[in-house]
Amino acid sequence: MRNSLLAVLLLFTAPVLAQETIKIGVITDRVGVSKPYSEPATEGIVFGAAEINRKGGILGRKVELLIEDDQSRPDISAALARKLIDQGAVFILSMSLTAATQQQQTVTMEAKMPQMTPMNSGDTLTTQLQNPYFWQTGPLGSIQIATLLAHARAKNLKQVALITDNSDLGQLLAKFFKAGLEKSGIKVVADEVVARGATTATPQMQKIRAANPDAMFMSGVLTAENVLIFKAYRELGLKIPIHSSYNLSVPVYMTVAKGLIDGVTFVDAYDPEKPEVKEFETAYKKATGKDSFNLHGYGYDGIMMVGEAIKRAGSTDKEKIRAAMQGLAYSGVMGAKGMTYSFPEGKRAGYDPNGMVVRIYEGDKQGRVVYVGQK
Amino acid sequence: MSVIARWLGPVLLLSGAAFLLSDYHNDVYRKMLLWVALALGYNFLFGICGQVAFSHFAFYGIGAYSVVILLFQFHLPLPLAIVLGVVICVLVALAVAIPSTRLEGFYLALATLALAQLFVVVLNEGGALTGGTSGIANYRLPDIFGVRIRGPWFTAVIVLLVVGTYAVLWRLDRSWFGRACRAVRDNPEAAAAMGVNVARTKVIAFTLTSALAGIAGMVYAFVDNTVNPPIFGIDNAFLLLFMVIVGGAGRHAGAVIGAVLLFLLPFWLSPVVGHHHVLVFGVLVLAAILLQPRGLIGLFDFAKKPS
Amino acid sequence: MQDFLELAVGAAASGCVYGLLALAYLLMIRPTGIINFAVGEWAMVAAFGGFLLLSKLEWPYPLGMAAVLGFMLLVGWATERIAVRPLVARGAPLIAPILALLGMLVIFREIVSISFPPDPHPVPYAFGIGRLDFGLLGGSYQSFFIIGVTLLVFAATWLFFERTLAGRMFEAVALHRRAAALMGINLFRVTALSFAGGAGAAGLAGLLVSPNISAHYQMGVPLAIQGFTALVIGGVGRVEGALLGGLLLAFAEQLTVRYAPIPSGFAQGVPLLFLMVFLLVRPTGLLKARA
Repeated sequence: MRNSLLAVLLLFTAPVLAQETIKIGVITDRVGVSKPYSEPATEGIVFGAAEINRKGGILGRKVELLIEDDQSRPDISAALARKLIDQGAVFILSMSLTAATQQQQTVTMEAKMPQMTPMNSGDTLTTQLQNPYFWQTGPLGSIQIATLLAHARAKNLKQVALITDNSDLGQLLAKFFKAGLEKSGIKVVADEVVARGATTATPQMQKIRAANPDAMFMSGVLTAENVLIFKAYRELGLKIPIHSSYNLSVPVYMTVAKGLIDGVTFVDAYDPEKPEVKEFETAYKKATGKDSFNLHGYGYDGIMMVGEAIKRAGSTDKEKIRAAMQGLAYSGVMGAKGMTYSFPEGKRAGYDPNGMVVRIYEGDKQGRVVYVGQK
Repeated sequence: MSVIARWLGPVLLLSGAAFLLSDYHNDVYRKMLLWVALALGYNFLFGICGQVAFSHFAFYGIGAYSVVILLFQFHLPLPLAIVLGVVICVLVALAVAIPSTRLEGFYLALATLALAQLFVVVLNEGGALTGGTSGIANYRLPDIFGVRIRGPWFTAVIVLLVVGTYAVLWRLDRSWFGRACRAVRDNPEAAAAMGVNVARTKVIAFTLTSALAGIAGMVYAFVDNTVNPPIFGIDNAFLLLFMVIVGGAGRHAGAVIGAVLLFLLPFWLSPVVGHHHVLVFGVLVLAAILLQPRGLIGLFDFAKKPS
Repeated sequence: MQDFLELAVGAAASGCVYGLLALAYLLMIRPTGIINFAVGEWAMVAAFGGFLLLSKLEWPYPLGMAAVLGFMLLVGWATERIAVRPLVARGAPLIAPILALLGMLVIFREIVSISFPPDPHPVPYAFGIGRLDFGLLGGSYQSFFIIGVTLLVFAATWLFFERTLAGRMFEAVALHRRAAALMGINLFRVTALSFAGGAGAAGLAGLLVSPNISAHYQMGVPLAIQGFTALVIGGVGRVEGALLGGLLLAFAEQLTVRYAPIPSGFAQGVPLLFLMVFLLVRPTGLLKARA
């Protein structure tokens, strides 16, 4: 009796099983240096994939995520890209270090495998290699500085200080921040680096104080070192305004830098007032029981965009997906109200240059959006 | 002739395997073989000559970066770039080794640790020459006699590198020099009394193994056709030390076993235990040292010769 | 001038933290010869203890501090039992426990990494955030607190080694293990105590520095390297050498960043160069052990 029941059950489920899933590869970091950023963003991807499947999947097929851990080791990362290709993934989402994303590209370029990073913001990812199968939708460093400068235009800055940490991304962002500042005719009078693992940032802040800048720009991405900078700033009694990269948009600062960040201006790709964001946060809470923030949104937008591209391609043929992706225009959770990701004229960095917002900390809370875009 | 025949078998076997593997497994195989080459050299330096140095990965990086820079920024022909790359490694190694031989044990470790960190600083600050934090990409191995070496054929090149490294170290280990190295490791005073020039032995061992690491780095530069700073940081230098210890310091076979096991461990464990695999790695290292002081190769000896 | 004095207070505080870490190494090296790179991880464990007791449960500072330090003594003792004693009892070469402790380093880090979210966690200052000025000399409360506590610890350690019988016992073991054993000194007890003391010193360093650098799972290795560098500069022979080495390292680092006319990216490399040159010129450290 039980056997026959099982047979009947199998009969019904067999067609569903036979229907192959659409495999999407995710390379993330679960143990290394980019873990604090990779993990929430990957949770956003997992939630997005579940949403897609709840609504019937793509092209009538379920999405299956193949998640790999590269430990922030770029050579392992490239090997994992090959693994995902061998396992039949049709798209790879890169959620780890910038250098890891770059090293995966050497594989995806050769294998003509669509790949996207929804979060990495280094400008060089789409310029160093001419890889038509790679897209980047993280807000570029050059957009971040341009947005900050547009907001600060009224302040008529003449000379500023720039401070970063010695992480790969921190130094890369600093390079684009410096270029953006100099392009606007603003002189960088102090250009400082705080090393990972430093026990104080006092000497750097003293130099900045001595240079007497109109404002301080921060491009570091290591939370602990950024907090060190705020503490030295407070201790030395500095009063100059602080303008920070999107790293300050991560909510961890509200607890770890309590009492230190009031009035800090930062650029963000997230507007909590946006209807899509409210909808996303509610749905995420309902599905997982946990709160979400902007990092989840990056991952969510990434998987949604990939899903949209596959839907438009009408098949899992990689060449068709490539064409669909390149022609995509997509509005999601991230970005200012009404922002659309797009890749016009063969560009592969899809974040809208006018899609970032400027926000200011009020007490320990992230304030509302005070400025949009770079016009 | 018989010497060639003796090494030809393993070369054919190891490179033949590459043609049976998928792209992914070939890539893992290539990177594993490079770790084996590094572990063999490091084992000679640490296990046989008794020098605890953390600069091995820096030399791997010097080799990789110098061949890429010489080829694609100075546009030198490949053979010249390789020779010059080796010369650079040897010169840097000598510059470090000659004064450092006065240092013993962990003082050498600290000096080479500083060198390794300094190297990463230079890579990051190197501007257009090193490509800064993004490193250098967008190049490929020049054709050799009009042939483009790729896929499993490139794996065969790495096999040649590993077997060549092994052959050199194996031959050295059995020579007068190898005995001198072991004597220096076990008791420098006694070695000196026996007429071994301790300082010179240390310098030669350090320079030679560092140059071998540099050559391995040159091959690495073309595995993914990109070089960037994170690969050459100090984390990997510690991993290399663990490989040699877990496998069995002082034994070539131990270095091979350790490198293979610890390199593949995350690939095996990650699907099973998720991100706990590093914890398993730590427990394994501790257990290996506590339970089997001669490393895994000691287990093998024990199984072979139950007494 | 005021800038320099202000920098000096901050650098002295950093130097004291390095000095405490160097002391942790020294307490273990003297009687056993074992270099324990897990001191950085011990500092991390204490920092997380500070986060749990002081930030989360909001215990009063002295109570939380005492609890963390007591726990650290236990951690040091347990580490010795697990990773050191079996090897020493077997007569394994000195390198074996050093490597086993490297394994412990990975285990400590991963336990913390698995148990806590990956973001940095705040640890409170002993006296809140604020600034104290004595004429030209000025610095944060925490800087003065660090300097005070460190001087106290070093004075106590110095007195222990110079003036008490137990301290003399440690010195005897440091000079000659076998002779000390023949004299009836329990070597295992000395080793266990030295590890407990080492963990206490490292834990104190972690607790003192974590209000600045926050508690996070990757804070250990930089601290371990800074502490070891301080130890080598000061020399392993004498307690006061650890403090001197720490201060020298911190001043070298911070004066370079502040005053050296080179790009700031390269400024991080200068202390490394300084260390390499120092090692080559004076590998025994500044202070030699007394005969």
